[in-house]
Formats: sequence, structure tokens, C-alpha cells
Amino acid sequence: MNKLFVITIILLSFGSILFAQELKLPSNPLDGRIVFEEKGCIVCHSISGYGGTKGPDLAREQYYGSFLELASIIWNHIPAMNRKFRELHIKRPRFSEKEMQDLIFFIYYLRYLGEPGSVSNGKKLLSSKGCTNCHKIAGHGSNIAPDFTELGEYSSPLYMAQIMWNHGPSMQKRMKELNIPYPVLTGDNLNDITAYIRQVSSVSTELRMSPGNPLNGKLIFENKGCTNCHQVSGGKKKTGPNLSELNLNKSVTEIAAQMWDHSPTMIEYMQEKSLTYPMFKGNEMADLIAYLYFLGFEDPPGDPSKGETVFEEKGCITCHDGGAGPDLTKIKPFNSRIQILQRMWNHASKMEDLLLIQNNKWPQLTTEEIRNLYAYLTSIIQKK
Amino acid sequence: MEIKRRDFLKLLSGASGAVALGTYGCSDIIDVPEKLIELAQKGPGIVTWTNTICGQCSAGCGIKIRRIDGIPVYIKGNPTYPVNRGGMCPSGHSSLEVLFNPDRVKEPLKRIGLKESGKWDSISWNDALQLIADKMIELRNVGKPHQVAFLDGSDQPGLMNKHIAQFMKAYGSPNYYQSGQLKNNTAPYRLLQGINQLPSYDLLNSKYILSFGSNFLEEGYSPIYYTKIYSHLRDSSEHGRTRIVQIDSRISLTAANADLWIPIRPGTYGALALGIAFVLIREKLFDDNFIKNYSFGFNDWTDNKGITHLGFRSNVISNYYPEQVSKITGVPAETILKIARDLGNSRSSVVLGDQGTVDNTNGTFSQMAVHSLNALLGNFGKDGGVYFVDLPPLADLPPFDEDEIAALGNSKKPVAQSLDTNYPLADFSIDSFTKNILNDDPYPIDILFLYKGNPLFKTLNHHDFAETLKKIPLVVSFDPFITETSEYADIILPDHTFLEKWDKFCNTPTVGFTHVGIQQPVIEPLFSTRNAADVIIELSNKIDQSVANALPFQSYENEIRFSVEKLYNSGEGAIISEGVKSSWLEYLQQRGWQIGRYNSFDEFWKLLTRNGGWWNPIRQTKDYKELFKTPSGKFEFYSQNFANIINKLIETTGGESPENREKVLHSLNISVRGDKVFLPHYEAVPIEENMPLYFITFKLLTNRDGQSSNQPMMQEMFGYTVREYWNSWVEINPETAQEYGIEDKKDVWIESPIGSIKVRARLNPGIMKEVVAVPFGLGHTSYGRYAKGYGTNPITILKNKYDMINGNPALQATKVKISLAT
Repeated sequence: MNKLFVITIILLSFGSILFAQELKLPSNPLDGRIVFEEKGCIVCHSISGYGGTKGPDLAREQYYGSFLELASIIWNHIPAMNRKFRELHIKRPRFSEKEMQDLIFFIYYLRYLGEPGSVSNGKKLLSSKGCTNCHKIAGHGSNIAPDFTELGEYSSPLYMAQIMWNHGPSMQKRMKELNIPYPVLTGDNLNDITAYIRQVSSVSTELRMSPGNPLNGKLIFENKGCTNCHQVSGGKKKTGPNLSELNLNKSVTEIAAQMWDHSPTMIEYMQEKSLTYPMFKGNEMADLIAYLYFLGFEDPPGDPSKGETVFEEKGCITCHDGGAGPDLTKIKPFNSRIQILQRMWNHASKMEDLLLIQNNKWPQLTTEEIRNLYAYLTSIIQKK
Repeated sequence: MEIKRRDFLKLLSGASGAVALGTYGCSDIIDVPEKLIELAQKGPGIVTWTNTICGQCSAGCGIKIRRIDGIPVYIKGNPTYPVNRGGMCPSGHSSLEVLFNPDRVKEPLKRIGLKESGKWDSISWNDALQLIADKMIELRNVGKPHQVAFLDGSDQPGLMNKHIAQFMKAYGSPNYYQSGQLKNNTAPYRLLQGINQLPSYDLLNSKYILSFGSNFLEEGYSPIYYTKIYSHLRDSSEHGRTRIVQIDSRISLTAANADLWIPIRPGTYGALALGIAFVLIREKLFDDNFIKNYSFGFNDWTDNKGITHLGFRSNVISNYYPEQVSKITGVPAETILKIARDLGNSRSSVVLGDQGTVDNTNGTFSQMAVHSLNALLGNFGKDGGVYFVDLPPLADLPPFDEDEIAALGNSKKPVAQSLDTNYPLADFSIDSFTKNILNDDPYPIDILFLYKGNPLFKTLNHHDFAETLKKIPLVVSFDPFITETSEYADIILPDHTFLEKWDKFCNTPTVGFTHVGIQQPVIEPLFSTRNAADVIIELSNKIDQSVANALPFQSYENEIRFSVEKLYNSGEGAIISEGVKSSWLEYLQQRGWQIGRYNSFDEFWKLLTRNGGWWNPIRQTKDYKELFKTPSGKFEFYSQNFANIINKLIETTGGESPENREKVLHSLNISVRGDKVFLPHYEAVPIEENMPLYFITFKLLTNRDGQSSNQPMMQEMFGYTVREYWNSWVEINPETAQEYGIEDKKDVWIESPIGSIKVRARLNPGIMKEVVAVPFGLGHTSYGRYAKGYGTNPITILKNKYDMINGNPALQATKVKISLAT
């Protein structure tokens, strides 16, 4: 086992100490697109078809997981990627801490942005979900509620979701009066419906939201009273579900649909308890959902005893326990957990060469392994 | 005064920025007000950068101005502005020399003595505007508002042209003209596609670019945009290098950077295009599906009266076989065969034409022939082909009620419209404008406004245009400098330089995406100058409430804000910023997102002015119905639009008869007869048989239209390719020079049927043996110390010939002889 690998493991261990710290949310996860382009990631990887084809497309409805899961994916594909760099004569990029942070947030964020809707599916959904029982569109449907054709300016999915949410209580009341079943939305339903509305709309203006700001979303979550019923990240148990435990690794419109589906129960409960129903304006819903989405970025703690096994089985111990590895206690502390991945990445090229010279293989680490390894190394460092 | 070149070079080699201002502020090189010099020397030295739009030409590049304590000291390209992506031409780079130019008009001037006497007196803004307003009121009171004309030489799409048009319409005159060639250049597309717009070309996705005289790297609508594309094409080798073939009479900058240069006789580009069409047709290299379903007049056809008409195919096959075309163009038949085969077998391939093709008496027909190749290749709306960019969603100026006087004035025939059958597709014809005003036909012009362009320096018929300016009782110029044209003005209302003013530009012609650029002041006006747009608002307020109602804005800045508020509301596109590329915009917009975050219009405006502009690179897929607004709804090889125009001319000149038809066609310099008239065809340029050499002009990046002649740096760089500075030269092929006993760097006389000029000979194998060429831009007789008296204006020996269809000057239609000057 070579020295660089050990260094990397040490870096990982320091990261685990800091990992207990509160997650620092990004204000604009899209900043990483600049890194993605400028560092040449786009030469091999595409985002829904925009970019190169040498590597996998990073945005085909794919969720890559938490920070450590992403770190594991990146770590494991370093040798293959290095081979590609050499084959294409591309200079391997180095990242600053900020660049690595932006890139990771960006890749994590892609799933949130969603996919374009299907016009044909949207047309079917408007009918099958009973929307046309009240609304008219392209000359078909009822006049009870506003004509969708004239509401084209709200036809971006999230704007529509926000309006639906805000009108939720009055809409549900009216639906009850008319004995119309409450439409349940799943998957990309909202995307498809708005894609169809956009196509038939006659208005020239279209209101859109900006991709959400998770930092702002957290404030909205607190200020709109969501914390009255919901807990996040292991807080005190509350009436509503713990949002950290829900599967919110979805696109923004899927999460919006999930919110929509739970709104009747919520409205009823809030009316009972005389609580104020939260209304959203401007970009608030996008921000809130971005915050909820980023709850999945945080990792659960690992198991130190399992981590010790990983440390031994992956050969870390060979160099670290009296071998060529550095003294863990003398490693320069990290400013943030992102710095671990940044240093891993920047040193990986030399480490790969050393492993090759010594006829050793690149140590593949699963997410579970990397998580447990963190926990183990943290405990060692704490003892020291 | 004489320039001391040593002083100028000293300035260049000395310190830059504020130090330079402090040291040389009072010198003859640049003229900086005392208060700025003091600030430059004693200020805290705080550096700021401001984004704006360059105003040196109509390309509208985004620029960043470095300021120290608010004083502009350096200009560079704005890297996020999508048109130029950080690139800049040398003229824009050194445009601080315009701001601090010692020859600026610093206050309103009133001429004393005769026109062209060069004697001026100062006049207050209020007195000058009142004087003009009184004359305009007087004309309206006697029902003659149409006797006011406005000549706008900006050739720039944006808000200013709409602003002036609104003012003129509310006042009651149909005589507002953009004197550039932008609108006239759309004539071929009007005839073939029914579209009043220049196309854009998807060069980035094309594998083979065939350019007919289009010197897009130097003389295009935005050379820097094309340079950026060119460098990208040359940088990408992954999918095979894009080949560029340049057809031109001389090695232009584009030809020099192309893979292949094909020399061609001036005025014969159309014939070559048809020769290439011949091979594409014979070898079945055309897009059969497009031709069958979306074109009209390709094959012979029969009308509803049962008359059979000649189609494009038959005409080309009969008349434009390579051997025949070779005789006309001077291009070897084997070369024609090779280009055509390469073009037809390289998909995507695209064909474009400009300068060499259009600057001639047969420009419209030649460009029709060139554009027909795109139809044969089925290039419309296709990757690597031809497309038409959408207009940005900007607000129109508010509607207003035209009063009776204005309505009557607007109903009059425009004075720049030909009174006979000439120039049927001209939006503006300087020839008609001049002739009609000199003849008071259909009515006299009493007031003429001049905004930008210096038309007298550029016009072919210099003498008549000067007489026109002399004849008009009140000529008002907005020039910030005294130019050849404003020497004839009665009043000069000096405009700000572009670094001191607000303006808005959109969609630089042929640039391949929708965009808006905001020009904003980066310094308070140095002198008592005013934005011409604001002056027009002031004038409208002084003239009449009904005129004032048409421009209900406190300032032009407010008008710009009004116009762009619709952009904010549209939710389309994005304010330009780092990392906002077309792919991201498209990615986000497909998913219902907008990339910017602005909660109010004020926030949007703040960001818009901070970053410099807005764009929407997403190309909407257009239905063929939108692309072909012709009578058949298809691409018309046989232009029914043109047939209708000719029929209408015949009708208005005595009705249909063989004699009348002959008369009309003859007046339009059309030599072919029958159906060939309406098909893309080759028209020979009328030339003087006793003159042995073709004479052409060209423009350089350092001084594209003569405007940069008052920038000493541009004079210092003028002929950077041949090392000729502050002077003109003539390019002569060494073999031709030998024939005439001319040596390199010796002075020669160039004699045309209308005059002679003396210039320095520069021998150059990159020009055809039968052609000589002189750069345009120098030879000013006015325009300040750096411009006046340097070099020669080649326009002065060009014959007064025009494209008889769209009225554009024929810059390559004069032949000359040369001799060694002794």
C-alpha cells in the first residue's frame, strides 16, 4: 500500500470529524456549471445531451446520492477517468476547494431541476385527473374555474404548483361542494400538464422561477411555520413526518406534487388547530423545495467497528501502521469536508502511478465502506 | 495643424491610464478637461469597471471600461457578451481617443457665412433648439411637415431608429431614412423568400463554408463575432476540420484565413454560383425532398392560363455550364467542378455572399443566385445551414394619435423614392434622394437632420450630394465632430460620444441569436453636448403637444427602460452572465426555469445594466410557412414577387405593352428577357472597354467606414498588413505592375472615367492581374487633425452607378487605367 493512498485515507478521516458539523447549504448550486465547463468535465460528460459522450450523461433522471455517495463514485472512477484523459490528450484538471464544492453541489442539484414534460401525456392527464371538470383548455372543459389557455403565463411547472398550493384551501372547499375527487399527482404529472398548457396557451408572457436557493429555502421553512409540524435531521419528534427520513431525492416538480398530495390532510389539520396556512410568493416554493432536496446531501453516521475492517481489508493498514504513511496527528487540518475530496482528487494522479509501479490495484470503496471508514478514522483520531 | 508623430508615439509608449491623462491631457494628442486632469493626479485611485456597448460601428460589441476615480482609462471586450465574447477590434479598443479627441464639437454651433466656409459661432442649446422648432412649427402651420427629412447613417437596429421614426411620423413627414445598406441588402430574400430580413448562418455546425465575396472576418456586420466563430472552427478537430472556401478578387483577411482562395473577376459572382448550381443539378447533389416539396419554379411550370414558364433547372442547364461560366468569371472549369462536388458532398455545407457579390450593379441578382445554392442544398432551418433570428420581445413605442397635419404630411410620397422605375426594392436610394431634392420633385426639402454616418464622405456622387446639402435651407447635424457632411450644416447640435450616452441595440444583423445590448454613460459628458435622442424629445416638446405625445418620456433612458420592461415580463432568455451559455439556457428553459433571479423590474434593470445585455440563444424551430412568405408559400426560384413588382411598374408607366415592358426592363439594366428576368441569373456589369483594369475598394478592421480616421492609433495601424500607415495605397499584382513599369512603393496615378487619384503602389500577388484595389477610409477633407489630409478616398473616382434593383452603390463597377506618377 503506498503512501498517497494512506494520505487520502487520512484526509478522509479528518473529514469525518468535521462531518458532524451542520451542513453548509449553497445559495446557488448552479454556480458549479461554470466549473463543469471550464474544467472540461463537459468534454466527456453531458447534461441531458449537452456535452460530450465519452462519459455518462449526468442528468438523465439520475440521483447520485449524498455527499459521501458522490465522493465514493468520483473516487472509484478516478483511474478510468485518468485513462480517458490520457487517451484524449486532455490535461487533468485540478480543483480549488471552492471549485470542488461548486461542482459537487451542481452535480447533486441536477436531479432537482427535473426533465421537460410530455405534451401528449399532459393532455391525457388533464382529462384523466379530472382537471377539465372545472377548467377549460383549448375550448374543451368546464367554466367553473379559470381557463388554462388564458393562464399560460403560469405554465412553468413550479409557478403552477405554487398557485395551486396557494389556492389549495379554497379549491378543496369548492371541490367538496361539487363532489369532485381530489386529484392526486405523481411523478412528472405536473411537468407534463404544464408542457401541454404551454403549447396551447395564447399568452406571450411566461412567468418562470429561478432554480431554488437552498439557503433561502431554509429560512422559508422556518419562517412559514413548517417547523411547527415537521422535524429535520434528528430534531424533536413532531406531529408531521420527519422530512429527513422521507425520500425527497426527486425532481422539484415531483416534490411539489408530493406536497400537493399531502395538502388536504394538512389543511384539515391546520384548520382543526387554527394554524395559518402557509402561502408562497415569488421564488419561495423553488427555494423551499431546494432546501428539502438538500436534506439528502447530509450523510448518516457510519460504524467505526466496520470501518476498522475496511481499513484492514483495503490495505490501508499496510502503510499507515508504521509504514510509509504519515503521522495522522500531524496532518494539516481541513477547512471543510469538501477539502477532503479536493485533496483526494488533486493527488490521485500521483497515487495511481505509485500503485501501478507497486503492482497494486486502485482501492474501490463503496459508500458504506467510505462512510464506515470515516467513522473508524474519526474514532482513532479522537483517541489520539 | 500638423501632427507630430513623435508626440503620438511618445504617448503610446508612455504610461497608460490616468497617468497618461495627467501627463498629456493638455497636449495636442488628446484633450482632457482640466478638472479630470486634476482628479487623475490627486484622486484616491479607486478602480471600477463598467459594462457598456461599443459605438464605433454597427456591430455593437460588449465592452468593459476600466475607470480610475470615474475616469475611463482602458477599454477591453466584455467576455460574457455573446456577440464578441471578450474580443474587440482595434478601433473599439482605442476609442478613448474619440472621447478625449481634441477636435470634438464642444457646444452647439451656428454657421456664419456660406456653407462649407468653415466659420462657426457658438449658440446656446435653448436658442438653437428654439430656432429649429420655430422653423418646424412654421412648416407644419403651412401644411408642409413632409418637407423635413431625417438621414440616419447609423445602420444599427435598436431603439434610436424607432425613436426617430416615431418623432417624424408624429411631426408629419414620411422622410426618415436609414442611409446604410442594411434594409436594401434584404432585397434578394424578399424576392426569393418574401422575408425582409438578412439570414444568419450556422457556421459552427457546418463542415464546408463557401463564401462568395463575403469578407466576414473584416467587413461583415460583426467581424469579431465571426472571428470568434472562426477561431472555434480552427480549434475543433474532433469531428474533422470545417473547410472554408473564399471566392474573392483579392486575398482579403477572410481569404487569407480560408483553406482555399478562388480569384474571380469583379461582378461575376452570380455566374459562378449558377455554374456551381449546374454541377449540383447534373450530378444530383441537391436536396430532392426540399426541391419537390418546398420550392417553386425549379422545374418548368405552367400557370393557370396554361402558359408554360421556364424553370431554374432548364435555365441553369442551358446557360451556365462550367466552360461558359469560366469564360465569364475567370475561374477554371475544373475548379468550378471541384467546388460544386465538395459543396454537394459535404453535409452540412452552407453558402453565403456579401461585399463582392452585392456591391455591384448586379448585386441583387448575384445574391439571389448565391442564395439559391442554399435552397438546392435544402439548408433552411437545418443544423449547419441558414436560419432567421427572432426579434427580442421588446415593447413597441406607445401608440399616439396622429393629428390632421401629420396625417396629410405622412401621406406624401417619400422624397427618396424614385420618381421613375428605378430601384423598386430600395428602402433608401441616395441617388433618388439627391436627384429629387435638387429638382424639388415631388416637393422641396426645407429642413434636413443628419445623424451619424457622414454620407458625403461615402457617397458616389459627391458633387450632387454636396449641392443638395447646399440647397436645403436648414441643415441640422448631430455630429460630435465636424465631418465632410456637417461642413454643410447650418446648425450642429453635438451628440455625446458613445461613452457618455444611453442607447439600446438589438440583433446585430447576421449574428445568430436574439440579443439586446445596453449602452450607458461611463462618464459625465465632458462638454456641452447632449444625447441626440434627448434632443429629439426636447424638440418634440417645443413643436406641438401632438408631437410630444408620441414620445412621452422624460428622457431617452426612461424610454429604454420602458422598452426593456417587456423583456423582463417575457420570462424568455437571460441577462448575460458568466457561464450562461446557450446549452444551459435551453436546458433550464425546457424545464420551466429562468436562469436569473430578479424579483422586480428594478432588480432586472440593475442587473441588465451591470452586465451589459440580455440574450436568448434558443433558436425556435420555424415552420417553412414562416420562412417562405411568398405567393406560393415556398422558396421561389422563380420569384413571383419580382414578377408582380415588374408588372406593377409597367402598369404605372402606361400599362402592359411590349414597348413598356422593354422600357421598364431597360431602365433597370436588366438585359435578359422573358422568364429569365424572374430567375436568379447573371447580369453583366456595364464597363468601359477602354479601361483595362477593374478597380475595387475594400475596408480594413482598423477603419471600416472612415469613422476611425480621427483616432491617431488607427491611423498608426491603418495598413497593418502592408505596413502602410497614415496613408493609402493601391494593391497591384506584380505581373501587372511589370507590364506598366511600376515598382513597389512608387506613386501611381489611377485614372477612371470621372477622375484620377495618386496613391502608392504596393505589389501583391494576392490580387488578380486584371484588378487593382485601394482601401476605403482615408482621404478626408475634414473630420479633425488626425483625419484631414491623410491618404486618398477611392470613392471619388468611382462611377455613379448603382444596383438598379435595391439602390445600393456599385463599388466594384468601375474600370481604370494606371500609370507611374512622375
